[in-house]
Amino acid sequence: MNQKSQHNTMAPDSSIVSPFLKPGTVTKPHGLAIVQLSRDNLVPVYLQDTKGAHDGYAEGAVVNTRYGSFPHSTLIGVPWGSQIRASNVDTGSRGRKRKRNIGDEGGNEDAEDGAGAKQANKEEVEGNDEQVLPKKATTASSGFVHVLPPTPELWTASLPHRTQVVYTPDYSFILHRIRARPGTRLIEAGAGSGSFTHASVRACYNGYPLSDTDRKGKVFSFEYHEQRFQKMKVELSSHGLDGLVHLTHRDVYKDGFNVNGVSPEAEAIFLDLPAPWEALPHLSRSRPASKQSLGTEENPWVSPLNPRKSAHLCTFSPCIEQVTKTVSAMRRLGWVNIEMVEICNRRIQVFRDRVGLNLPVERGANLTPANVMEAVARQAEIEERFKEHARSGPSTGEMEIDEDVEADTKDGEAIRAAAAAAGYKVWKEGKLITKGEAEVKTHTSYLVFAVLPREWSEKEEAAASARWPCGGEEKVIGALNKEARRREKQKVHEGQKKKGAKKSMEGAAIAALDVPCKPDGVRAS
Amino acid sequence: MYSVVQPNGWVALRLPSDTTKVLQVIPNTTISLGKYGSFPSNLIIHRPFHLTYELEDKREDESYCRLRVVPPSELYADVIAEEDEAQGCTTPGDQSDKILSATDGVEFSLVDDDGKVIAKSNRETIDDNARQTLTMEEIEELKREGTGAGKDIIAKLLLSHTALDQKTSFSLAKYKLLKTRKYIRRFQVLPLDVPLLGKWMLEEKDAMRVMEMRDEMIGLVGCWANVHYAGEDVTLDELNASRRGATNEEVTDEDRLKGLEEEVKPIDGRWLVIDDTSGFLVGAMAERMGILYQEEEEIKEQPTEQAVQASSEIKAENDTSNEIDQTKPKEQTAEQAVQVSSELEAENDTSNDIDQTKPELRKLALPKKLQPRSHDFQIPYSQTNTITLLHAASQPNLSFLTYYGFDVQNPNHPPHPLINHLLPLTWLQLLHPEKDSAYTTPPPHLPQEKLTAMKTNRRGGYHRKRRRYARVRHIVDSARAGNFSGLAVASTMEPISILQHTLPLLAGGAPIAIYSPSIEPLSELADCFSVARRSAWMSPETAPPETIGKTAAELERWEGNDDFPLNPTLLLNVMIQTSRARRWQVLPQRTHPVMTDRGGSEGYVFTAFRARPAEGRVEARGKHTAKRRKVGEKSADASAAGTPAPTEARVGGHS
Ligand SMILES: C[S@@+](CC[C@H](N)C(=O)[O-])C[C@H]1O[C@@H](n2cnc3c(N)ncnc32)[C@H](O)[C@@H]1O
Repeated sequence: MNQKSQHNTMAPDSSIVSPFLKPGTVTKPHGLAIVQLSRDNLVPVYLQDTKGAHDGYAEGAVVNTRYGSFPHSTLIGVPWGSQIRASNVDTGSRGRKRKRNIGDEGGNEDAEDGAGAKQANKEEVEGNDEQVLPKKATTASSGFVHVLPPTPELWTASLPHRTQVVYTPDYSFILHRIRARPGTRLIEAGAGSGSFTHASVRACYNGYPLSDTDRKGKVFSFEYHEQRFQKMKVELSSHGLDGLVHLTHRDVYKDGFNVNGVSPEAEAIFLDLPAPWEALPHLSRSRPASKQSLGTEENPWVSPLNPRKSAHLCTFSPCIEQVTKTVSAMRRLGWVNIEMVEICNRRIQVFRDRVGLNLPVERGANLTPANVMEAVARQAEIEERFKEHARSGPSTGEMEIDEDVEADTKDGEAIRAAAAAAGYKVWKEGKLITKGEAEVKTHTSYLVFAVLPREWSEKEEAAASARWPCGGEEKVIGALNKEARRREKQKVHEGQKKKGAKKSMEGAAIAALDVPCKPDGVRAS
Repeated sequence: MYSVVQPNGWVALRLPSDTTKVLQVIPNTTISLGKYGSFPSNLIIHRPFHLTYELEDKREDESYCRLRVVPPSELYADVIAEEDEAQGCTTPGDQSDKILSATDGVEFSLVDDDGKVIAKSNRETIDDNARQTLTMEEIEELKREGTGAGKDIIAKLLLSHTALDQKTSFSLAKYKLLKTRKYIRRFQVLPLDVPLLGKWMLEEKDAMRVMEMRDEMIGLVGCWANVHYAGEDVTLDELNASRRGATNEEVTDEDRLKGLEEEVKPIDGRWLVIDDTSGFLVGAMAERMGILYQEEEEIKEQPTEQAVQASSEIKAENDTSNEIDQTKPKEQTAEQAVQVSSELEAENDTSNDIDQTKPELRKLALPKKLQPRSHDFQIPYSQTNTITLLHAASQPNLSFLTYYGFDVQNPNHPPHPLINHLLPLTWLQLLHPEKDSAYTTPPPHLPQEKLTAMKTNRRGGYHRKRRRYARVRHIVDSARAGNFSGLAVASTMEPISILQHTLPLLAGGAPIAIYSPSIEPLSELADCFSVARRSAWMSPETAPPETIGKTAAELERWEGNDDFPLNPTLLLNVMIQTSRARRWQVLPQRTHPVMTDRGGSEGYVFTAFRARPAEGRVEARGKHTAKRRKVGEKSADASAAGTPAPTEARVGGHS
């Protein structure tokens, strides 16, 4: 119920909080929803409450997938997470115009579904003045999707790619490490496809600014590619993020990070650029040596960083050579705690491993011996039959043995049938095992982290030392000196002796381990 | 987070040995760094974080060591010199003062890891036979000599001898690193935020207490559970304006209790949490929600003592509480906070109990939120941006939150954002409130005359009891009403049992993120949602007979049986993942992954979204077993995370 604070926001279209930050409980017309066709197959859809037939569909706007057709009307006004049944749609004139998307060929079809749905939305925006009411959708006999509220994770997995993007395993770690929190002012370049942007807005959000002077957490994003900039601008608007992200069309190597000459006062920075070292000099506290040309007498150099806080930076580069250059530049520019890491993320699949000779025939079961006992029992059985056979007739041949083996298999089938009758539950049988996914991302990029402390002037130091004079120390905190530690040990030892038993010593040891996070506290010296 | 070190605030000191010392910076004390020396705490109070200091030698007329800020140019002198050399540029003058020549007649030996002497400062040749190492005494001796701190010794050892060239720069660097860390008296002051607390616990203190949860895992849990700031505080009274303002006398207890029940209108921005990491997970979530740290009063160059006294104004309230909290010993804190808050308290309420009564003192809070509480049953909690914490013991264990000034046990708590955003309750209260005495025992009620006749502190006790009762009712009722916007778990309890009772409480589309140090509990959980399990649940032949004919809503509360521990249609997009940050050393010509890192648990995260199944049986459509995508094939859709098309046996596919 943020409404109050929203009434007087500057931008008219930020009167609603972004669905990414506050989706409400049900899907709304004109809102963004993520339609999940199947696992890992997500399509972003801007829901349209069409007034009449649309694009040839009597039901109005429709999302077409290989799991069926879903008129927007069936997706609007339902609780998030709802399972939605497919509808039988009336293609009417549409069939003649062009047919697509109702395919069932699998594979890359998914990709087209997504693009198709998105394009359909755009078309609706263009022209739809027909006054006829859309036809009510009728439920189809099969097919369904789920409709999910947008989150940065789902957006990242479904957004239209214009560039390489930063995925959840990387951005979740990065945002944690660069201390992006409610109220943080964050610089990001380049914006690219906006994957990182959405995640960082969520991290920095602490309300929409009520006025120009209302300082709130904010993302300052930069992109020099004109089309990407434009696309992203539209996207941010339709996601209700206008007041929270300031997107600038700019080459940051050349022109840095201030917005209209005003410092974003950033305390967190993320650079996903080919040459971070070209941008780094702009991220200094005072005019860097290499940028003497920037700023003049009348036009002094302004740092884009928050002058009161340490700045946390992360650069994201795929190649080691980029890292070398970046780190070298960081050292020369005074960044500290420089650390490079690489995130290795693996998704894990869970299976039921069903192996055994006596399992019912079903897909997924491996009808080979489950263990040595089973193998030996079967071999012994074959051996027995072989002997029987030899006794019953003079000649032996391969063919006949094969027959016997077959007979055995038939026996097995009987056993399996019995098992099924006894309530064989395929979902519970077998051993639960885990293994990695079929395809593994082995490298995304190298992450270089660094911190730039705030500047500290002599004047500030003088004020602090006047306020906190030294020489009157009363106690020692922190480490104990050797003598004190020895004395303490002795005390513990004596205590144990009094109790006498060896057992109490163990007890004390356990108790010592148990002490809840006793940090080095105050101790009399 | 604060911009400078706060008096009485917690900080971490990073020592040359790469160990971390966590302590509370109490003014007017001496901070000891053990063998590295000691210095007055006042030298770092109200100074910036992340600076590297060096302990200077005592001046003749002073009883303590001063600190010198080590500039980055000095920190990186070696590396930069090395880089420049590799590029062929000679470094002029600048370097010469950092390279000391050992001409003062003292002999030092440079030894490698095995104690082999590589060089001696006064001889030209490497003496292989001389197995001479610096003893502890010698080092102490050198330190005491005091002409220079430890760094001079290193510099002398390393840079005075030409024979060093014969060593490869690799082994030299390794050597240097080891020894440098030992003797240089440098340290860095870091804020004890959640990432640092986690690192310290994990690498140095007690990894088990945080269930070995690494940064990667906290990041994943926070993101997948979609934990974020959810909006300004909303009080129940705002939601229900009719009851606002009426005092204790105008409305009967019965009415109020009824009102309490009626008032439970869950709105979004409420997360459900189960935390067996002593509050580490709650802390991480609170950090993401903006309710962990107290607001630092923006740059009043030096807040003065007068500011503490001068606070009848609501605006000033904020820095007052900050001041008190940071500068005064504990007893005074509570006392003063009471004084301050009493200005806000209603006339008729003279109790000492400021627990929960004080509206949150965030700068963003609108003044009307600071209105005094008009009656005992007024609910102090915000209705959004909250953490509802389910705990297995009678009290939640949130001991890590003491580093952030929050103590869940303290009934006279000074202002803290967690006070009205953290709602703890027991599993018993959630599942069987009727068996919980705090929930069931009705509050005392006395007529006004009796109350006025009471002694102040007894009257305080009376009000406290009534308030506690109202709080418990509210926490339990609102939790049971469900509609939570997310679930985050780091627990030693079986995840299946947790979900049996929490799944029904989640709003549709709500995300779930469960951390586990080992994979087995999570794979068992995922198996409850396998394709095979779901088909069996949907198929009339295999579905449990009890479920036949039940509505979807009824089946949301399915208690589970052996075959179907959970309703397998209640989760979507089930996924298990693990992440590991591999660290690298980046140095000129010597860049490579670090050789060793912490072992132990990998750590896994289970994620999913709460689904709302349609009524009745729903058939799947589409050939989802069609052609598998080839590895490496590019597609613009959701295979984003590099995931292959679902395979038949996989958990969570379509159908
Ligand atoms: C890999 S993409 C960023 C992807 C983004 N982080 C995401 O998650 O979607 C890099 C972007 O940086 C932009 N870029 C490159 N150099 C730039 C510069 N000097 N100034 C601004 N943007 C730049 C490119 O146009 C490109 O869109």
